Amino acid sequence: MSTQRELDDLVKAGYEHGFVTEVESETLPPGLNEDTIRFISAKKNEPEWMLEYRLKAYRHWLTLEEPDWAHLQHDPIDYQAISYYSAPKKAGDGPKSLDEVDPELIETYNKLGIPLEEQKALAGVAVDAVFDSVSVATTFREELAKAGVIFCSISEAVHEYPELVKKYLGSVVPHTDNFFACLNAAVFSDGTFVYIPEGVRCPMELSTYFRINEAKTGQFERTLIVADKGAYVSYLEGCTAPMRDENQLHAAVVELIALEDAKIKYSTVQNWYPGDEKGRGGIYNFVTKRGDCRGDRSHISWTQVETGSAITWKYPSCILSGDDSVGEFYSVAVTRGYQQADTGTKMYHIGRNTRSTIVSKGISAAHGQNAYRGLVRMGPKAENARNHTQCDSLLIGDQCGAHTFPYIEVRNPTAKVEHEATTSKISEDQLFYCRQRGLSEEDAVSMIVNGFCKEVFNELPMEFAVEARKLLNITLEGAVG
Amino acid sequence: MITAELQKGWAKSLLEAAGSAPAPWLEELRSSAGALIDGLPLVNRKQEAWRYTNVEPLLKESFQPVVERPSGYPGEVPEAITPHRLVFVDGWFMPELSDTALLPEEVTCGSLNDAIAAGDERVKNRLGSVADPGEHLFTALNTALVNDGLFLHLPAGVKLESPVELFWLNSGGETPLLAQPRNLVILEPGAEAVLVEHHLPGEGERYLHNGLTEIVLDPGAKLDHYRVQDESEQAWHFSRIVLDQGSDSRYHGITLAFGGHLARTEYNGLFTAEGAHCTLRGLYTVGDDQLQDFHLDVRHDVPHCSSREQFKGLLYGKGRAVFDGRILVAKDAQKSDAELTNDNLLLTRNAEVDTKPQLEIYADDVKASHGTTVGQLEANQVFYLRARGIDEQKAVHMLCEGFAAEIIEHIHLETLREQALARLRQTLGNL
Amino acid sequence: MLTIKNLHVNVDGKEILRGLDLEIGTGEVHAIMGPNGSGKSTLSYVLAGRDGYEVTEGEVIFAGKNLLEMEPEERAWAGIFLAMQYPVELPGVNNMSFLRESVNAVRRARGEEELDAIAFMKLVRERAELVKLPEKLLKRSVNAGFSGGEKKRNEILQMALLEPKLTILDEIDSGLDIDALRTVAEGVNALRSPERSFLMITHYQRLLDYIEPDHIHVLAHGRIVRSGGKELALELEEKGYGWILEEEAAA
Repeated sequence: MSTQRELDDLVKAGYEHGFVTEVESETLPPGLNEDTIRFISAKKNEPEWMLEYRLKAYRHWLTLEEPDWAHLQHDPIDYQAISYYSAPKKAGDGPKSLDEVDPELIETYNKLGIPLEEQKALAGVAVDAVFDSVSVATTFREELAKAGVIFCSISEAVHEYPELVKKYLGSVVPHTDNFFACLNAAVFSDGTFVYIPEGVRCPMELSTYFRINEAKTGQFERTLIVADKGAYVSYLEGCTAPMRDENQLHAAVVELIALEDAKIKYSTVQNWYPGDEKGRGGIYNFVTKRGDCRGDRSHISWTQVETGSAITWKYPSCILSGDDSVGEFYSVAVTRGYQQADTGTKMYHIGRNTRSTIVSKGISAAHGQNAYRGLVRMGPKAENARNHTQCDSLLIGDQCGAHTFPYIEVRNPTAKVEHEATTSKISEDQLFYCRQRGLSEEDAVSMIVNGFCKEVFNELPMEFAVEARKLLNITLEGAVG
Repeated sequence: MITAELQKGWAKSLLEAAGSAPAPWLEELRSSAGALIDGLPLVNRKQEAWRYTNVEPLLKESFQPVVERPSGYPGEVPEAITPHRLVFVDGWFMPELSDTALLPEEVTCGSLNDAIAAGDERVKNRLGSVADPGEHLFTALNTALVNDGLFLHLPAGVKLESPVELFWLNSGGETPLLAQPRNLVILEPGAEAVLVEHHLPGEGERYLHNGLTEIVLDPGAKLDHYRVQDESEQAWHFSRIVLDQGSDSRYHGITLAFGGHLARTEYNGLFTAEGAHCTLRGLYTVGDDQLQDFHLDVRHDVPHCSSREQFKGLLYGKGRAVFDGRILVAKDAQKSDAELTNDNLLLTRNAEVDTKPQLEIYADDVKASHGTTVGQLEANQVFYLRARGIDEQKAVHMLCEGFAAEIIEHIHLETLREQALARLRQTLGNL
Repeated sequence: MLTIKNLHVNVDGKEILRGLDLEIGTGEVHAIMGPNGSGKSTLSYVLAGRDGYEVTEGEVIFAGKNLLEMEPEERAWAGIFLAMQYPVELPGVNNMSFLRESVNAVRRARGEEELDAIAFMKLVRERAELVKLPEKLLKRSVNAGFSGGEKKRNEILQMALLEPKLTILDEIDSGLDIDALRTVAEGVNALRSPERSFLMITHYQRLLDYIEPDHIHVLAHGRIVRSGGKELALELEEKGYGWILEEEAAA
């Protein structure tokens, strides 16, 4: 059994990315009203239609109530106590060449393991670096442009590609969708825009690295990825924040659109600051992610490794409209300390022969609460649609919780749905067996947990899989005795 | 849309016709439950428990509560499979149609209303102590209108050899009636019994049955509880069974649901001491204009208890089924063992199912799992049977029977098992 | 008894059988051998009438009738029996009831009287003895939780009960140890008679040591590429399929 010391080690196991960057920022005072939105829009020099879009969302948001159905407990969020815009002063207006970017920022990303200088960058990965409310740099733009791929900040896209943005923004997640998505539509500050033209296989992995730095700010980024007919893109997202005593809100929206025969692979390693051992501080992560398989034979795959945040509320979903389209959701969610996660997916089967796979692995340790919440809906026209869902929970210690809330709605008899869920702990026998073969207890736990998550890690691009495994090991250090 | 006005108005009209209670303490119990009704949430889609079940048409119907024992019964009473037969009409116990003469003297088995009127302390002590009247509109309504039902009490160590068989019948008539029996079953330490319930239309067609059963199993007590719900196609049927299980007690419950226009069965299991075991099984068939709705809530609050929940549904025509099962393992309820499954076969184009098997686990040393399937018959199974000379229709029937057999085989009374199979075949024959 | 002419079959739009010809006379035992993916199992399913096998060309005449127009159960009534490579599990369906249902359906179709419970039990016990199928398996669900050998014996028991004119044994030897294989073969041999024909489909020569065929055919790329007597099997055993395929390619 675990000794107190080991438990202490567990909760103290460091959050590696908790440092603060000393950089002079322009930060809007806390508060939210129409002027805040006008300020953000003006700051970005947005066209009138964009401002109108934001105001419409804001006015709708005022009519909404914060949802309370998730298996989460937190103090009420004071939306007037949050600053909705913060940008490093030297970031200036819009993107620049890398030598114009504040060296402090480049150093910040270096420290996070995300070098922005192209010669030092991971081979084959282009990065959009978002710092608080703005994109500070986007790498490999020229090389991507040669392939016809658009990869830029969303603020830039509003100016450069207004037709594409107008056509697709809000088409998957409308501003009326839910409370947090609506708030995001009103106040989103930056994010990433990707467009892969017809028939193009994106020559490198694209990624965005989100960093919250400033205190009392919220981050509201917006990501829009469009894969035109026959296109392919693999996109990665990483997130970190400094250690602070107060909770910070992150309410992002991600929209994916896959046209005929297109494939989008979206991977996330979420490592926002989770709060301290007493449950103080940490990011409230309320995110709406949804992909629309609009074309026949299109394919959207979500993979997520969620180790951070005090609260995680996200359900990356797929609307399988096109015939023969495929949706996938692979998730590892770890909660320890006082972390709470309510995460899962929704698979809406609309077209014929649509297929979806859900693999969810929840790991709860210390006082962590981990809930899988998922919907599989087989519409009346979803002939021969198939879903298979596997939800496994692993409990480490007797103070945590693991919950499963699947919703299965079937309106077509030719559709087939299978759902399985199990709950287990690492058994004494497994540990003993490994230790008898000479493994340390910690290595044994790490090995067993990694085995438990293997199906999900296999879906991650190589560099990310290594990163995810490392992250998981750090997160669970000393978790079992 | 279900408005507060609709819900409260509907309940109020029923409460006004309640009649007087047979004892002052019951009057108190009734009125405290009645007082809850105005504050209860609306039974609409916004509540998880009613997400897929629309009772709006029901709340637009008016019903006449039956507040006195009917003077007689115009129809025939079906044959019993055991010597201990209790007949209830519109929720009231009918002594002249029943036969309890062969039960051991120390066993109390009969009318709840009579027991209350006779000042039975056991009823006074336990009635309302197991089931929460504030669960929802229908439980509050049942408690606010308590009149009659079954009172079964077995003293310590008494083991009944033959099952006690209950027939729930309806007298019919012009106005749709509300039967709303309240049942109390108490098995003292080590007592054992088998209870069989038949819910039948009798002479009724359009009626509302809103039953609530409280079951107390003291340490080591064992109850096998079979329920066959075969109400009329126009009937609304609500049954809630609430269990309070002491240490090492065992409850074995099976519901076979064939009838009703809208039928909702709720099981609420609670283990209060270690070593208890509970199995809940159900088989449902639904066709045109039918909804079968099952809600399970099994709480493992203490360590070393086990539960098995297995429900299977056959859907055809425009039939709809809803399954909402939850197993909760509380903190420190170590060594809990729980398994929940729900399988559905969709036999026709327009059948629909919504299923929601949930686990809430707050202890680590537990075994808990759930599994759900929804689909058609396997084409290769049908082919295999046809390749052996069996025609397609017969092959489908055999496979459906095989699917249902996994529930029916858990009925330990042979005659009842045969009745169940025959009833299933009747349904399959109409496909 | 069975005549297959120029049979072309598509599965999922892909052509698997490409002009197969085969003639099986009454009382004959034929073996079809061939490498994996040559279309052996497709042939057995097409003959039994499984969905998903689209005949694009050719004909199959069984006992004077056009087999391809018949439903699977009609083929069973007519006397075709397919012992499957992977017998299907039927959870909840009692094996004894299934066997009785099947036997009586076939008897009805042949204008014979149905067997009552007692007569049927007697018959099943006798035939089960023959294939050494433990009686307890008769009380269980069809094939559910049976071992590989038990499933195959259950198939042979069904054959023994239905007394078909043409039995197709699809890889009946797969997954069997020597003892189980011998029992299964004994069951088959016991049913050999001048009225009954057999078509064995197998990958290995081993089975032919136990059930001796009159004719052997090699199936490759969806067609019979070589036919011969018992000696062909020995040649295949020695040299594998490669030489035939090469000769075929050369020709």
